[in-house]
Amino acid sequence: MTLFLIVLLPFVGALVPALTIRAGRDVCAAATGLISVTALGLLLAQAPAVMQGEVVHARLDWLPWLGLNANFFLDGLGLLFAGLILGIGVLIILYARFYLSKTDSMAHFYTYLLLFQGAMVGIVLSDNILMLLIFWELTSLSSFLLIGYWRHLPEGRQGARMALAVTGMGGLAMIGGMLILGDIAGSYDISVILENRDAIQASPLYVPALLLILLGCFTKSAQFPFHFWLPHAMAAPTPVSAYLHSATMVKAGLFLMARLWPVLSGTEIWFYLVATTGLVTMVVAALIALFKDDLKGLLAFSTVSHLGFITMLLGFGTPIAAVVAVFHIINHATFKCALFMPAGIIDHEAHTRDIKRLGGLRRLMPVTFVIAAIASLSMAGVPLLNGFISKEMMLEEASHTVWLGSDLFVPVLAPVGALFSVAYSFRYIGHVFFGPVRTDYPAKPHDPGFGMWIAPAFLVTLVVLIGVASDAMVGDLVATTSRAVIGSSELPYYSLKIWHGVTPALFMSIIAIVGGLVLLSAHRPLERLWRAISVFEAKAVFDAVVESIAAVGRRLTDGLHDGSMSRYAGVFFVTVLAAGGLAYFGGAVGAPTRDPLPIAVVPAIGWLLLVICTGCMIAYHRNRFLALVLMGVIGVIVSIGFAYLSAPDLALTQLSVEVVTIILLLLALNFLPRETPRESSQGKRLRDAAIGVVGGLGVGGLVYLMLMSDFAQPTISAFHLENSKTGGGGTNVVNVILVDFRSFDTFGEIIVLGIAALVIYAVTETVLRGETGRRLARWMPPEPGAGDRHPLMMVVATRVMMPIAIMVGVFIFLRGHNEPGGGFIAGLIVAIALVMQYMASGFAWAEARQRFPYHRMIAAGVLIAALTGIGAMIAGRPFLTSAFGYFQIPPMEEFELATAMAFDVGVFLTVVGAVMLSLESLSRIARHAGETVNLEPMDVMPEETETPEKETQ
Amino acid sequence: MILELLISAFLVIAGVFGLVGSFGLIKLSDRMARLHAPTKATTLGVGGVLIASMLYFSFSAGDFSFHELMVTLFLFLTAPITAHYIAKSHIHRHLEPKDLPDTETDRGWASFEDAADHDPAHDQIDRRRFVPQGASRNGVADGSTQ
Repeated sequence: MTLFLIVLLPFVGALVPALTIRAGRDVCAAATGLISVTALGLLLAQAPAVMQGEVVHARLDWLPWLGLNANFFLDGLGLLFAGLILGIGVLIILYARFYLSKTDSMAHFYTYLLLFQGAMVGIVLSDNILMLLIFWELTSLSSFLLIGYWRHLPEGRQGARMALAVTGMGGLAMIGGMLILGDIAGSYDISVILENRDAIQASPLYVPALLLILLGCFTKSAQFPFHFWLPHAMAAPTPVSAYLHSATMVKAGLFLMARLWPVLSGTEIWFYLVATTGLVTMVVAALIALFKDDLKGLLAFSTVSHLGFITMLLGFGTPIAAVVAVFHIINHATFKCALFMPAGIIDHEAHTRDIKRLGGLRRLMPVTFVIAAIASLSMAGVPLLNGFISKEMMLEEASHTVWLGSDLFVPVLAPVGALFSVAYSFRYIGHVFFGPVRTDYPAKPHDPGFGMWIAPAFLVTLVVLIGVASDAMVGDLVATTSRAVIGSSELPYYSLKIWHGVTPALFMSIIAIVGGLVLLSAHRPLERLWRAISVFEAKAVFDAVVESIAAVGRRLTDGLHDGSMSRYAGVFFVTVLAAGGLAYFGGAVGAPTRDPLPIAVVPAIGWLLLVICTGCMIAYHRNRFLALVLMGVIGVIVSIGFAYLSAPDLALTQLSVEVVTIILLLLALNFLPRETPRESSQGKRLRDAAIGVVGGLGVGGLVYLMLMSDFAQPTISAFHLENSKTGGGGTNVVNVILVDFRSFDTFGEIIVLGIAALVIYAVTETVLRGETGRRLARWMPPEPGAGDRHPLMMVVATRVMMPIAIMVGVFIFLRGHNEPGGGFIAGLIVAIALVMQYMASGFAWAEARQRFPYHRMIAAGVLIAALTGIGAMIAGRPFLTSAFGYFQIPPMEEFELATAMAFDVGVFLTVVGAVMLSLESLSRIARHAGETVNLEPMDVMPEETETPEKETQ
Repeated sequence: MILELLISAFLVIAGVFGLVGSFGLIKLSDRMARLHAPTKATTLGVGGVLIASMLYFSFSAGDFSFHELMVTLFLFLTAPITAHYIAKSHIHRHLEPKDLPDTETDRGWASFEDAADHDPAHDQIDRRRFVPQGASRNGVADGSTQ
């Protein structure tokens, strides 16, 4: 249970910064810190058990049929990483409190940071690879937010995008690999997968799975050739760099390699892929780091190099190398974090991170100097510091590694990497802190306050303590973690001592340190040489690749979706026709099982009218107004058709919908040209006509087939008819289906309706604010409008009609459950009653007399429907179960009350709100285009017009 | 017997007016004249059918209902408005003030008045951004005190 809490705490806590920021920045930082400290405390409470070799499990079946369960487990490896994440997280929160300037939004920062923390803890504690993948992607997303925290800086945004693109892509590849892995093992639980080493390595899918997973790990851990994103992520605030890009996120890839080490490692392909990548990364990144002038850039490449170091060790595949890897993970986290923080301090105080502009800070910033120097020396691998021991052990392992039959390749390259590492570490000290004090710093540097250096000072203390007494400090932790990585309780012999005797590693170490110093002394000429030969800019290549992919994507999208309605329709029709044709000619279509009915006179007239209207539509479709009239006629005939075929509900709905649609379209027509211009060539129109004719014939044929044959299976209609009265309490089956049998559908539909109306509103709002709005404001109607837009007769008539129409609406609503009607139709009718007022007196005039905002009406509708549904749950029934009963109040007849009626009220309100909100949006466009707002109900008020006495004729 | 005669008479009247109305729609030359034909047909023609129906159901079938009355009411309400709008749009689109007889008032034909400029105090051009409902009710107070 505690494990759930540890993972959940940062996520829930992500709300805290925003809530506490009003109380001040100190309170906010303290509250945020408290979240991490609590999580850390919970973790440490589990530590003793884990150190004893126990594995703590927490299981929760979430979607067991998908194999997706919220399972967590805590073993040594999880403990180490979770401890690093939470522990360093606390330090970072403290450091960031003083690092962020007054203009930076602290609440945002801490929120992102906690989200990231939660995602990271989730990764390292997950026992289910699907969960792990979710957390994995969450770290990519939250790190995107953190890198782009200074969103006003283009570097920040570009860096964030690059990081997201690279790590996100890797994450996608990893999903594939993990699914394969889970498939081979037969379970998505890591603890099960870890027991299936033989099955996995014997599987023919082992190699693809490995490749995909490694792609995810390498991109996340910035391994060559995916290393280029990490330096660009340095545009982030330094706390982020220190946290994500040295201590935690970039180690997620390493974590995963370590986690799956027992099942994946030990094969040739693993060795050559992982060890070689690690080695190359280590050497190349160290070399680049040497020539980086940006302090954080240098640290970024040094991080990449050290990650390569650890990757290589994991790639060796021997248990002892894994132990060294674990040890170096601890060491690297401590000294690299302690290096980033001084870099941030220098940036903060001197206002530059350019090494070329720094120097001599030793005297100006003594405290920072001590911290940075110790951490740098540890990174260089100088004795008595923790970096030394792990580097020695690494060189020891490297010295007897055979690569492709060559026993010199690794033993030579590894010390070369170490040599570069020494050189850039000393450069950090030498070029920044030593040398003469300068006078041209952008700002006068001095040591920061206690709050800013205490966190790195604490880490440096650890660096020294682990360096001097490693076994006492972290011996148990390394042992426990290594057992978890290796997957067996047997550990190889190793010793975390400073003095290992006179070994090859010692010589390599000495060579590295001496060589590094020599290299640094020759830095100037070497740098000129480096500048001359390095023409390869990773960012430019990345941008070019992304740009070309985007161009291909754009071409493809533009080809299919060029904004032309006729092309969309064409693509759609042809696809559907092809599918339909395939089904018809490929499948078995049964012979007609029904006889056609004789055609009666009335339907024949209706049919003829439909045909004529459609024909006219084709002939006159360029005249938009005429087209609208024809559409109205067709709509009315369809409604009559419904009524004729005994579907009164449909007829009522169709009729109301027709009215509303025509009114809305009429309003829209105001702003459109009268005629649809001819824009396509003759050939195109012929082609479209052909598609249209074939499409029409296809639909007609389909309808004919459906009408002429019986359904293959019995329909559900009989069930509805039988249960409508007994189960739903209403005799109008259509309404009972809407509000009872399938009320969840209806619930979804009214939400969609509400969203659609809100979107129309929002889009109008946006359009009116932009260039279109300005164009609209300049828009002049093609001809002057008619006067007397609100004539007396219309105004009076609509006033008379209003109560009647609303009464009809209420009536239709109330009878809905048993007779044709219902909330939807009633909503439309009431909407029409209101629309009539708008038509008579203008929108603004009528609206000023309307007391309920439409947004709220939609919201109230959805809420009422939802509450009705939840009411059923309170009564212990499933969501949206309806209840009904019969009541009698003496003078009246017995009547029925059903909870479905409350649901119907929700439908009603949503429909009214949605229709009116769309109408209002159109009216806003009209007013923006200069339509006047009348203050009085009609244009010519009768009492104003003094008609002189006129002789009757 | 009398009742049947009465019902038949109304039906015949309705039929005649329906026929006349339809015939007029084809025959009359001028658009304004043509407007008269269908409005007569709807009011008198449909009205006759409705009265006949009401009589039949009240006395022969013994089932009085208000439906026909309501239909009549709505017809009387909507037909003139429809005609009014058709006439207005015809004036607007096809006629000039000089084509029309004098109104013999100090104001011209309403259809030719520009709503915005004939009386600045009467209407106002509102180019402000949309004001949410209920945010300002000044317009109501001004308008309703008239």
